[in-house]
Amino acid sequence: MENVIYTLHDFMLRTESLTYILIVAALCGFIFFWRFLSERDDGRDHLGADRPGGHHR
Amino acid sequence: MPDRKIVIQKPALTPFNVVAGIIVAVGLIITVIRFTQGLRATTNLSDYNPWGIWIGFDLLVGVALAAGGYVTSAACYIFGLKRFHSAVRPAILTGFLGYALVVLALHYDVGRPWRLPYPFIVQQGTTSLLFEVAACVALYLTVLFIEFTPAALEWLGLKRARSIVAKLTLVLTIFGVVLSTLHQSSLGALFLIAPSKLHPLWYSPYLALYFFVSSIIAGLSMVIFEGSLAHKHFHDKMDAEHLREADGVALGFAKAASWVLAGYFIIKVIGIAQTNAWNYLGSGYGLWFLVEMLGFVLLPCYFYAIGAREKNLKIIRRTAAWTVLGIVVNRFNVGMIAFNYHLPSSERYFPHWMEIGISVFVVTIGILAYKFIVTHMPILYAHPDYDAH
Repeated sequence: MENVIYTLHDFMLRTESLTYILIVAALCGFIFFWRFLSERDDGRDHLGADRPGGHHR
Repeated sequence: MPDRKIVIQKPALTPFNVVAGIIVAVGLIITVIRFTQGLRATTNLSDYNPWGIWIGFDLLVGVALAAGGYVTSAACYIFGLKRFHSAVRPAILTGFLGYALVVLALHYDVGRPWRLPYPFIVQQGTTSLLFEVAACVALYLTVLFIEFTPAALEWLGLKRARSIVAKLTLVLTIFGVVLSTLHQSSLGALFLIAPSKLHPLWYSPYLALYFFVSSIIAGLSMVIFEGSLAHKHFHDKMDAEHLREADGVALGFAKAASWVLAGYFIIKVIGIAQTNAWNYLGSGYGLWFLVEMLGFVLLPCYFYAIGAREKNLKIIRRTAAWTVLGIVVNRFNVGMIAFNYHLPSSERYFPHWMEIGISVFVVTIGILAYKFIVTHMPILYAHPDYDAH
């Protein structure tokens, strides 16, 4: 892989491309992280308080 | 409200009082030396290192850890999460004492402290970030003082004054959030002026954002940490509502902290991608950076998530203490360790023992003030003569 950066355009292309990939990966990852955080919260709202009419496992 | 008719006389010479007394006595002696013989006699500051631990610890860490005030009051009064209401007064008190001690520490650090009001009355310097920080800290300290006064007014029995101040709660909360957003980020932005002095792994155009987001983490963690200490040492001062809500506050804040830590980790990685600083990760500074990112960001993020998921308060409280330590590490890195990284070791800064002494003295003053206020004023319990505001 060629690692030499000759121009500002090369630099911007590399850094911005990587940033866009990271952002998309992070947004997808957040969905799984949110599910991990919240999957045991049946009957509770997003910060852990009892929801009216909800049930607990 | 706890039954305060039973008075138990505690001995004055407890280990805590003896240690605190020695620290205060030594601190007062150093204070006399500082203000009679100047900075040279008490600090290792130089033209290369004009900011030492009085800025790196007392100010940067102090302001970050005092963020619990705006985080908790915003959650309760702006986002309507009323179940966190019992955490508001302790958080406001911690924030108020934190900012008051920041200003106290600044009097030691600034060469001519009597000129601290100069930005407002002599020259305006409105293009300076430092002016913005000074203005926001001064205004926010005032806001925190007013937010704290209902507890003091209830203690003094001044019902009319208390009811007037209580009506200002929402306005003060909005002011507090705006001012905190401004100066928490500006403290990070101060380092944007020195791109060649701060190591590339810590320098980023997003420094202001990093400082602001990490202040939210600091605020959430500090509320959990302080809550667990209050639960342990001031249990008899807490009423049923505080005891009932304490676990919910810790669980809710742990979940929020886990979420914000995950976001913080991502924006830090994006910062490295933006500046293409990957090659520095293999250096000594890189390893230390990885310790900070993996040990003090990703690890607490995971343990907060586990704690919130499993409803395990022990994990959450230990993670909160670890995260508070992580904030100290981060501010030390930006303010001192990664700053002037290019200088030879002989020119690097290491604090004078008197600088450390004053920092310990300032923290001790804060703990003593917190203890006095919590013992005498309705902070951890609701006063029976007043409605919640």
